[in-house]
Amino acid sequence: MSYVLAKSQNDDIHKAGECGGAVTSILKYLLDEGIVDGVLAISPCDDVYDGVPTFVTDSEDLIKTAGSYHCAPTMIGDLVQKYFFDKKVAVTAKPCDMRAIEELITRHKIKRDNIYVIGLNCGGTVSPVSGRKMIDLFYEADPDDVISEEIDKGQFIIELADGSEEAVKIHDLENEGYGRRTNCQRCDVKIPRKANLACGNWGAEDGWTFIEINDEKGQELIDGAKKAGILETKTPAQGAIDGRAKVEGIMIKMANKVQNAVYPTVSEMDEWSRCISCYACRDVCPICWCFENCELNKPYFKDETNIPPTPIAFQGVRLSHMSFSCVDCGQCDDVCPMDIPVSLIFDKLQKKYFNRTGYVAGVSDDIKPPLYSPEKTEL
Amino acid sequence: MADDLKIVGLLCNWCCYGGADTAGTARMQYSPNIRIIRVMCSGRISPSMIFKAFQEGADGVFVGGCHIGDCHYDAGNYKWSRRSKIVEDILEEFGIEKERFCHEWISASEGEKFQRTMEEFRKELNKLGPLELD
Repeated sequence: MSYVLAKSQNDDIHKAGECGGAVTSILKYLLDEGIVDGVLAISPCDDVYDGVPTFVTDSEDLIKTAGSYHCAPTMIGDLVQKYFFDKKVAVTAKPCDMRAIEELITRHKIKRDNIYVIGLNCGGTVSPVSGRKMIDLFYEADPDDVISEEIDKGQFIIELADGSEEAVKIHDLENEGYGRRTNCQRCDVKIPRKANLACGNWGAEDGWTFIEINDEKGQELIDGAKKAGILETKTPAQGAIDGRAKVEGIMIKMANKVQNAVYPTVSEMDEWSRCISCYACRDVCPICWCFENCELNKPYFKDETNIPPTPIAFQGVRLSHMSFSCVDCGQCDDVCPMDIPVSLIFDKLQKKYFNRTGYVAGVSDDIKPPLYSPEKTEL
Repeated sequence: MADDLKIVGLLCNWCCYGGADTAGTARMQYSPNIRIIRVMCSGRISPSMIFKAFQEGADGVFVGGCHIGDCHYDAGNYKWSRRSKIVEDILEEFGIEKERFCHEWISASEGEKFQRTMEEFRKELNKLGPLELD
């Protein structure tokens, strides 16, 4: 594991990128050299609140994926699994994406050799709808005028077309029920250390990207991109490394505070009686991969006359299948048409499982989640 | 009321089922509330089977397997013992008291232990009364 500061040698990418365009440059290197068949990254669609996963095969098109989008909480782990199993792909991944990819690798749904993961540090994402509302309420700007947003030093910062910036403390926003998504507030994995590289601006000076190289594959990427003349690197000062560690520490501390709150059980929450059995939470879950073979589709659990379903026979079954591998991506919350805080329970069960076994989904080095292992041990 | 309580018992073919058999042939009296389902190994019991039993109206679920080290299939009961912890964690979330779910290692010769376990489990359930799910 080592650290470098990097920036793009290509002027267009340097300008378009969030902090020096290092990520886009590395992706360009991978495509140009033919190391991968394509790149899966997020590109904006209508505005900054609208990020769409895009599969890029021509490096000229990469420029539109440059920049970061905090209001586009999409998941790419399941896309890789569904559509690119036999392809060599490079993906950009925030920590929960990386954790999902890691869990899918242990389930043999993604081939480790086929995938290059450029990790992105993440302090949390904001849902598009509440993002717009929040900017309308707490900022003087019109949500449509925002050209870029950033989370830095505990503040949510927006940048307007005329170059002016406005910032509000995340803490204040979250007290009012806005700010980051609730699962992001709980999340304590801020740097994707299982990815080949973990990139971000924490600790970096302006115009540079701070990169943590996590493994040999990552080192090869940096060396290769440098050799191809597309990436410029330098060794970061100790101050930069410390600064980055400090930001991470503060983020984790904030998360721990939220985790320590006491959450009600399913039976204590009225929200669960709103369930309409639409299965959207299951379909969007990056860990749930059985699809048609899902046990919930079996005649002994499929019950179309009983709505809302008995929670234990619906979410209980899903919990028993994969809650120990829940990566807390919050997709189930996002898609639930009845606004049930689904991820709350799944994350809670994964934390319980962690207390029993020490297994953190997508972070621990175990070859299999302990529940599956043939070992002769009791909990 | 005690007679109406329903217990679903999932018993491993090689040990606990034999234990129930031993209790029966020795004419030991135990609670008739239990409905026994024979499975080949406690390791093949998935949490969803427990949940299904509760959903269908069981007031308590009992799982019996071989003693640790005695599994006919080498490690099935280790798998079950780990899984049972997950079941406990999940039941707690859904407002089902953890006393309603019980598992025990009983060998084929331990008819008396089977009888005692059943009696104790029924007494526990008597205290809790019927299960009401939303």
